[in-house]
Amino acid sequence: MATLAERASEGIAPPRRRKAAPLGVSIWRWVVLLVTGAYFLIPLWAALRFAGIGAFGSVVGEAGFTSSLALSVRLAVITTLLTIALILPTAVYVHLRLPKLRRLLEGITILPIVIPPVVLIVGVLAIAPGILKGTSLLLALVYVVLAMPFAYRAIDAGLRALDLKTIVEASNSLGAGWGSTLWRVILPNLRTALLSATVLTVALVLGEFTIASLDLYQTFPVWIYVNSQTSGQVSVAASLLALFVTWIFLLAITVVGSRQSRKTGGGEVTLFSVARTETRGD
Amino acid sequence: MTTNTTGNAATAAGTIGQAGREGGTSVLLRDLTRAFGATRALDGLSIEMAPGELVALLGPSGCGKTTALRIVAGFETADTGSVLVDGKDISSVPAARRDMGMVFQSYSLFPNMSALDNVGFGLRMRKIGAGERRKRAGDLLDMVGLAPQASQYPHQLSGGQQQRVALARALAIEPRVLLLDEPLSALDAKVRLQLREQIRTLQQRLGTTTLFVTHDQEEALSMADRVGVMSNGRLEQIAAPDALYTDPATAFVAEFVGVMNRIPGELQAGDQVTALGGTLPVRGHRPKEGAVDVLVRPEGLRLEVVENGNGIVTTRTFLGSVTRVGVQLSGDVAVQVDRPSAEAAALAPGASVAVSLPAQPVLVAARRVS
Repeated sequence: MATLAERASEGIAPPRRRKAAPLGVSIWRWVVLLVTGAYFLIPLWAALRFAGIGAFGSVVGEAGFTSSLALSVRLAVITTLLTIALILPTAVYVHLRLPKLRRLLEGITILPIVIPPVVLIVGVLAIAPGILKGTSLLLALVYVVLAMPFAYRAIDAGLRALDLKTIVEASNSLGAGWGSTLWRVILPNLRTALLSATVLTVALVLGEFTIASLDLYQTFPVWIYVNSQTSGQVSVAASLLALFVTWIFLLAITVVGSRQSRKTGGGEVTLFSVARTETRGD
Repeated sequence: MTTNTTGNAATAAGTIGQAGREGGTSVLLRDLTRAFGATRALDGLSIEMAPGELVALLGPSGCGKTTALRIVAGFETADTGSVLVDGKDISSVPAARRDMGMVFQSYSLFPNMSALDNVGFGLRMRKIGAGERRKRAGDLLDMVGLAPQASQYPHQLSGGQQQRVALARALAIEPRVLLLDEPLSALDAKVRLQLREQIRTLQQRLGTTTLFVTHDQEEALSMADRVGVMSNGRLEQIAAPDALYTDPATAFVAEFVGVMNRIPGELQAGDQVTALGGTLPVRGHRPKEGAVDVLVRPEGLRLEVVENGNGIVTTRTFLGSVTRVGVQLSGDVAVQVDRPSAEAAALAPGASVAVSLPAQPVLVAARRVS
């Protein structure tokens, strides 16, 4: 089936044709690209020079590297799973049954961006039950709150691109219950949206420093910071390594998502939303 | 097929499209009411559908026809009343277990599945093995003429093709009742016409009891065994298309279906009405005596070219075998009269004509204040 489908989709994606820009615009484009490129790449290049290639080899052997990286990865996995398990059914339900609440929900999910992380963690530590204190689950729960704005937006955009009500009703009328409808119809069509949500959540967790350090966890970013006090070169190498790994990860997800999306006529995968031109109002 | 056959219907092997369902399924909508806030979407709707019958619900938007269909499908619940399928009340059966195939107005194919997988989805939900499923889905796609598109995804199909796949998908589960919710209204005129015929042919071949909702009278009249005209949540009349056209029960039906002239008249005692200088018997419902409008179809008026007649020809529209002539009568009344095109040559705009009513019983309605 897959092969059939892939064959059928070959050459279907409309070729992107861009009008040639006037010369002046074209030159400006390059200028902007070069300036931005320099702004981002020079620090990276400087960091690479400072660390030296040799430092990369010794990063792995450094004390705390493995454990902190493992903790960060574990946190990323738990946070992503919890976030999606929480946001996806909520968003689907709101879209189907309580469309008027969409605005409100959007407002609520933006709160974690507005509230400073310091305030958040102090509050959480004050009210967290004893069982959770000191466990990585507590940190994951805080990260779920932080990831909510990004994950909700990604999933919401994906849902908006679907004619959810009709599709769900079609699925129901064909004999599918809620479980089958969610698993076989809604989820596959939200693939790119879920990928976006995952990417954003993972990136957030792998880079978060304030809360982890205030709560005395040695996550990877915290380890890099602590390590920089003793060995600058190694910590810079570790940062670069983390950057490249995350970057490759994001690239992979975007490429995979776009390919799937092209096949089923979905929208472009971008990191913040999955937008498809809507042909009819909902 | 008298009991709920969620499993049986699907496992009953057999080539789709040959015999269909013997006997078909009868459907009874009994006294359905449904209110959304202050608006009464349905106000005591009752319809009885014979096995294998195609009933169209026709009416202006907001008349409750879609609500009725969605109650049958199980997507809405009625405030009071019940839906009986083969004599059994299905009001408490969830949509997923009603065995009703539905085609929606908006494109409803699952974007992540090929045409073949879309059609096979209902069979998959009924736990039919992959081989059998593909074969039957393939047969159905063939039946709607889309076998070559089996592996294509919805976004690669045209609107008409998508609706045909949706139809095949709805029929794949061998539904007890087929529900069509304005399936053609998003399509362009030519495709609409083709698909209209295709749906009717398939429906008759399979003998599936079908409820079809539309606001397009031509669609309803050309496809349905019986057409129910709805207004304000009520059924105005349900009848065969020709009866609906020639013998409308109410003024609403008369004017909603087909073209209708309103000619001012005076209702007399004893079921007589005077209009256009003649006196005629009244049939059907009649308002209070006094000023009324006589309702006459364009083909029901007589027209002669005379000197100093009671009207002047204003327009002439060629419609094929007939030509529709617009006539301005005295007193700011405009009527339309159909004449055989062969005779219409003399009826050029500006010609003086005499318009009269043949001596047949006519429908009347309360005078419309305009």
